[in-house]
Amino acid sequence: MSNRVQQKQAKRVVREQLAREARRRRAMWTTAIAVAVLLIAGLIGWGVYASQSSSAYKTPAHASADGTGLVVGSGPVTVDIYLDFMCPHCKEFETAAGPTLDQLVADKKVSLVYHPVAFLDPASTNQYSTRSSASAACAADGGRVAPYIQALYARQPAEGGPGLSDDELIQVGGSVGLVDPAFAKCVRDGDYRTWTQHVTDAASERGVTGTPTVYVGGTQTEPTAAAITAAVAAAK
Amino acid sequence: MSVGTTEHPRTRAARWRTIQPWAGTVARLGLAAVWLIAGAAKATDLAGAGRAVNAYRLMPYDVARVVGAALPFVELALGVLLLIGLATRVAAAVSAGLLVVFVAGISSAWARGLAIDCGCFGSGGQLAAGQSPSYGPEIARDLGFLALSAFLIVYPLTRMSVDSAVERV
Repeated sequence: MSNRVQQKQAKRVVREQLAREARRRRAMWTTAIAVAVLLIAGLIGWGVYASQSSSAYKTPAHASADGTGLVVGSGPVTVDIYLDFMCPHCKEFETAAGPTLDQLVADKKVSLVYHPVAFLDPASTNQYSTRSSASAACAADGGRVAPYIQALYARQPAEGGPGLSDDELIQVGGSVGLVDPAFAKCVRDGDYRTWTQHVTDAASERGVTGTPTVYVGGTQTEPTAAAITAAVAAAK
Repeated sequence: MSVGTTEHPRTRAARWRTIQPWAGTVARLGLAAVWLIAGAAKATDLAGAGRAVNAYRLMPYDVARVVGAALPFVELALGVLLLIGLATRVAAAVSAGLLVVFVAGISSAWARGLAIDCGCFGSGGQLAAGQSPSYGPEIARDLGFLALSAFLIVYPLTRMSVDSAVERV
């Protein structure tokens, strides 16, 4: 082999090495950019969420000791009911089990704790779950929790559309005796929206992933009148 | 350097060389669409996304909330990287990693008998009224996406991508 050919070969090897080196550098840079983009995106998400959630909330009247529910009745056994005013099954549950629950309250056997969560905000165009839950807290301040909850179910909007407007919520309140302007102001100002967030977080933390969910004396129970009656009897 | 001994394998190899970068483009854009749709659906309800992660009962609620808030934006970023074809191999590898985690999460929810929605495309982990879990189809779907990611890890250079433009510089 001549010297010249050898030289040519050596040059080619060097050229290839340089090209490989350049490719490696480019790959390193694009990788670094991609990883940075992904990390920054994650941090943005966290930041957006942190700015949205607020830890300060006002607790309404007739709230449970931990502030996550509205209490009806004063019996010894606690019945926790997790509900979303947008959820059709919750309405069915209230219709079917409501009279039994009312009787248990009247007999001073149970304390009902309503936890109005906002799981289904995406199911309405105007965050009906959050707004209706917050308005129930306003109704608690006015001392009309149970009738207001029933009246809300009676006017339950269809999923996918707009929920009731603030004016309509105030109207519903008026139909059960909440005629104090303080109630209307509370609904319009959304005084208890952060409380609703607190209720929803607490429900998630407890492992509630759907509504209606019922606990009797701290034990999860089928959301039926018969199962609740049996569990209350057993809890004593 | 081996040369094909017959005509047939050589033409087949040539055909694959033409098809592969375009097939890669289809896989890349498909996967990009998946991440963009999934990320956008969740980014509008970050609290719901946190609840969806928490519904798996695999980590403390506070951790689940952070993961739930960060994940939609990471998905959107992956979608953008894949859409423009920048660092395709890295994006595909991260995609594959996430999908493996998702499949593992759904499988474990299934195994533990949880009744949840996977929350893959929003919904806060709550099943719609009267709906029962559909873990099988959800896992099958994720495995399909995993196949797209695998293709892109093996063949990251695709047509109409930033990567291939940079390669020519």
